[in-house]
Amino acid sequence: MELKNVDNELYSFALKSALSEVRNVCPGIKTSFMFKKDGEIIAGDEGTPEKVVARVVDAFDSVLEKADAIGGVECMTLECSKGRANVSCMDDLYLVTVTSKKADVNHVNIVTRVLIPTVLKLLEKIHPAPLKSNLPTSETEPEIPAVKEAEKPAEVSAEEPITEELKEPLEPEPSLPEPPVNQLIVEDLRGLLVPSDTVRIDGETLSEWEGLYDGRKIEEVEVETFDGNVTQCEVKPIKDWKYEGKGIIRIPEKIQLTLEIKKGELVRVKPIVE
Amino acid sequence: MVKKEKSAQNTAAAAEPVAVGATPINDLRACLEEIKAYKGVIGYILRNSASAVIDLKDSTKLIDYAVLSSSALDASEEFSKLFNLGKVKNIVVEGKDVKKLSMTIDENRISVFMEKNADCEKILRRLRALERN
Repeated sequence: MELKNVDNELYSFALKSALSEVRNVCPGIKTSFMFKKDGEIIAGDEGTPEKVVARVVDAFDSVLEKADAIGGVECMTLECSKGRANVSCMDDLYLVTVTSKKADVNHVNIVTRVLIPTVLKLLEKIHPAPLKSNLPTSETEPEIPAVKEAEKPAEVSAEEPITEELKEPLEPEPSLPEPPVNQLIVEDLRGLLVPSDTVRIDGETLSEWEGLYDGRKIEEVEVETFDGNVTQCEVKPIKDWKYEGKGIIRIPEKIQLTLEIKKGELVRVKPIVE
Repeated sequence: MVKKEKSAQNTAAAAEPVAVGATPINDLRACLEEIKAYKGVIGYILRNSASAVIDLKDSTKLIDYAVLSSSALDASEEFSKLFNLGKVKNIVVEGKDVKKLSMTIDENRISVFMEKNADCEKILRRLRALERN
């Protein structure tokens, strides 16, 4: 794990240096940074606040999500009255460059499309692992012993009487803490690709809940109105930054109708842990 | 908005461009019809607050293309705001198979879909000429 962090730092440092060199060669570049397909920022310049970068990634993600019809996004170029912005796909990474109006676009394109892929290829040859290891191992590892523990009594039970053996793994359950209840404000969740059985709440709230239950993934919640209507539905973290950290629950129209509530009302939400 | 797209999809199946609502956009439509005949052009979407004209060769992709157009234009506004880039002139999204040019002329949101080897600059020049007029 530590080695991986060191490798990631090296990657980040190498790419940051490369971007810095590109900016030296092309003074017309105002901002440049790179991020992974999962949104993780790999390298950027110091002049661009992280918040701005996060919002750019979020905006681009909304395009990326809907670009299957044209075969994904290889490149996106935005031309404006005061400059241009470009997002290019390079392997598993996206490079964002923002240039001033006076910048020589061809020169910028040539430099970035040669230098950055070269650096990426070099890094890939030196340390092939970091940029491809997107899955956090720490989350999957604890699940393996849990599964094994559950399997062991089952194997024994095939040979011996079942009743007593099965009681053992059930014992830890009473120690689970009471599910916390959060009061959240209802916000509409609309869109063509929105599943009608899934609500969205703050990722931070979900993480807190998961922390309470030893990292168990919270996939369902119980939503209760102040009139006493209750429903259970799937839950996912809010994607849109505009709704983050505001104590909001985004609910599809169908669930709103079931609960007889509408936008702006308060509901009680608690996680369902099995 | 969805209803508008759906109704447009229904009528687009008849392989005719369909105008929904009042259409003070005849010049744009004529221009887009001309562009549609350019080599590699797959179709176009023209929308404003009152009407929508959609003409795509493959009507099964109509909703996907409409959603992508809308997202790209929204994202371009966000990019422009974040980096203080001023008024958005146009946005080009290149996929593996298709590329898309979007721009706003007055209140009209235009998206032209084309094959990757199509001449995007030519289309842009044609649309800008119309904008100047």
